Amino acid sequence: MTFKMLDGNAAAVEGMQLARVGVISAYPITPQSAIAEKLSEMVDNDQIDAKYIRVESEHTAMSAAIGAQLTGVRAATATSSVGLALMHEVLGVASGCRVPIVMPVVNRALVSPWSLWCDHQDAMAERDSGWLQFYSENVQDVLDLMLMAYRVAEDEEILLPAMVCLDGFFLSHSMQKVECPDQAKVDSFLGKYTAKNTHLNPKDPMFINDLTSSDEFTEMRYQQKVAFDNALRIIPRVQAEFYETFGRRLNLVEEYRTEDAEVVLVTLGSMSGTAKHVVNTLRAKGLKVGILKIVSFRPFPDELVRTALRGKKVVGVLDRSAGLGAEGGPVWLETTSALKGTATEVKSYIGGLGGRDIPEATIEKIFAELLEQYNNHPIENTTWIDLKENPLDIRQVDKLVQNL
Amino acid sequence: MIKIKFYGLGGQGIVTAAKILSKAVSIHEGKYAITIPAYGHERRGAPVYTDIVIDDEKILLNCFVYDPDIVLVMDETIIEKNVDVSKGKKENTLLVINTDNTATLEKYRDSYGFRRIFYVDATKLAIQNIGRGIPNGAMLGALAGTGIVNIDSIELALKENFGVKAGDKNAKAARDSYQYVREF
Repeated sequence: MTFKMLDGNAAAVEGMQLARVGVISAYPITPQSAIAEKLSEMVDNDQIDAKYIRVESEHTAMSAAIGAQLTGVRAATATSSVGLALMHEVLGVASGCRVPIVMPVVNRALVSPWSLWCDHQDAMAERDSGWLQFYSENVQDVLDLMLMAYRVAEDEEILLPAMVCLDGFFLSHSMQKVECPDQAKVDSFLGKYTAKNTHLNPKDPMFINDLTSSDEFTEMRYQQKVAFDNALRIIPRVQAEFYETFGRRLNLVEEYRTEDAEVVLVTLGSMSGTAKHVVNTLRAKGLKVGILKIVSFRPFPDELVRTALRGKKVVGVLDRSAGLGAEGGPVWLETTSALKGTATEVKSYIGGLGGRDIPEATIEKIFAELLEQYNNHPIENTTWIDLKENPLDIRQVDKLVQNL
Repeated sequence: MIKIKFYGLGGQGIVTAAKILSKAVSIHEGKYAITIPAYGHERRGAPVYTDIVIDDEKILLNCFVYDPDIVLVMDETIIEKNVDVSKGKKENTLLVINTDNTATLEKYRDSYGFRRIFYVDATKLAIQNIGRGIPNGAMLGALAGTGIVNIDSIELALKENFGVKAGDKNAKAARDSYQYVREF
């Protein structure tokens, strides 16, 4: 075990290298580019024994990765934002054909407005794609969740591809101190990859992804559903083994000072660290607040969420994507669904869009509202928590002209 | 916990400097540091900033710095470019600045209210040592002069980052700056 200073992109690459990926097909996109570039450099310097396929788009990057992995190697690719959107069609091929590719997704807003910056909408738009989704709090998480993801994805009872999500810039470009495991330990934790169920082998040809009639479609979808159920059962076992091997604990959800908390905020991604920091500050002032961090969004561990939030009067959920047209953001919808039939009030918050920072002040403001609600002052919560004043005047051409 | 903000101009290497500082304290002093870079529409010569948080324990915080304990200014003209380097300044916030011009130092003290100012002409030391006016290595030496990081750690991190030849020159610039930095 050695300490290295890595940013999130470098930690993702470290994970791929330790997993001994055999084929890489990646297309660069901000803020993921460093992953595609670093992998290509490492292939050139023989630091990774892999074939690098130059592709012209993310659609092809994923297509090539699927074909490669079916031959019996771990295939590597990574993307972000509109790159992930361009992969959309083929994401379903990977999950439907049960090809357990592990892919870092560097979270960035979808267009428009055009943005390069952090937002979870890209991954949220793929939440029904049949991929597992794990979200990182910090750079250590990126590496650890990558290693965990290979084991989970490749488990014979799961066989689902996995996205390891890391916040654009706040993690991808933040340099942090990371404990990196030895190759030998990772080798014994992951084992050698072999293609299970479907495979591409000239000596044993088979049809893959052929036209499937309504006679079988439902059952094949059901197999995927069962795989997600299995994942909820198997991930804790893998995490226990991860702890024994590497000495760091991972969870499906992490409860942070929730036990005696009067109000709890549900978080996802890098905002969780800042939120924990705020919890410690407010606790020092005597306020009973806590955090429930969602690590696995797919599968969504609804039973664990229900247990963690049992008996809480007021809960807030901070989504980093807008959830347009729904009553609240995607994490709020899942949390509300997990708490159906209980008396818990679940407040939806939306913030940190398009790279807007989620500072301590934003989290403090949410806790203040939740505590007010807890103390029997029914309030209308500020759903769009970091909205500026007069948001409807932004870029309103007519109004700008009138003001000239 | 120490919260630091670096201000400079695109091309001065402030993001690199932040990474080197975080390596120096994390790898060579057993502490923890994270960098929170602000990437925007940068171009050479445009104002840029980057944040660093240092602590003895693992750092939970993962957002920009709004109340810095230390402000480091790589280019004194930054205040002419619509940047308020005193934003979020606390009573005892330290300023470390690349200048040896008394009028400039007075302006930073009187107009921006910095009570403790460390200064050195880092650009001159960079030109002398590395032949180019890129002051980032020298400014890290000046930062070591405030006592928040050891100059030996800075030198090691500079050598690791830039390799033998360029690393040695940058380390020399940092060492000189560490010796010449003065409190105003």
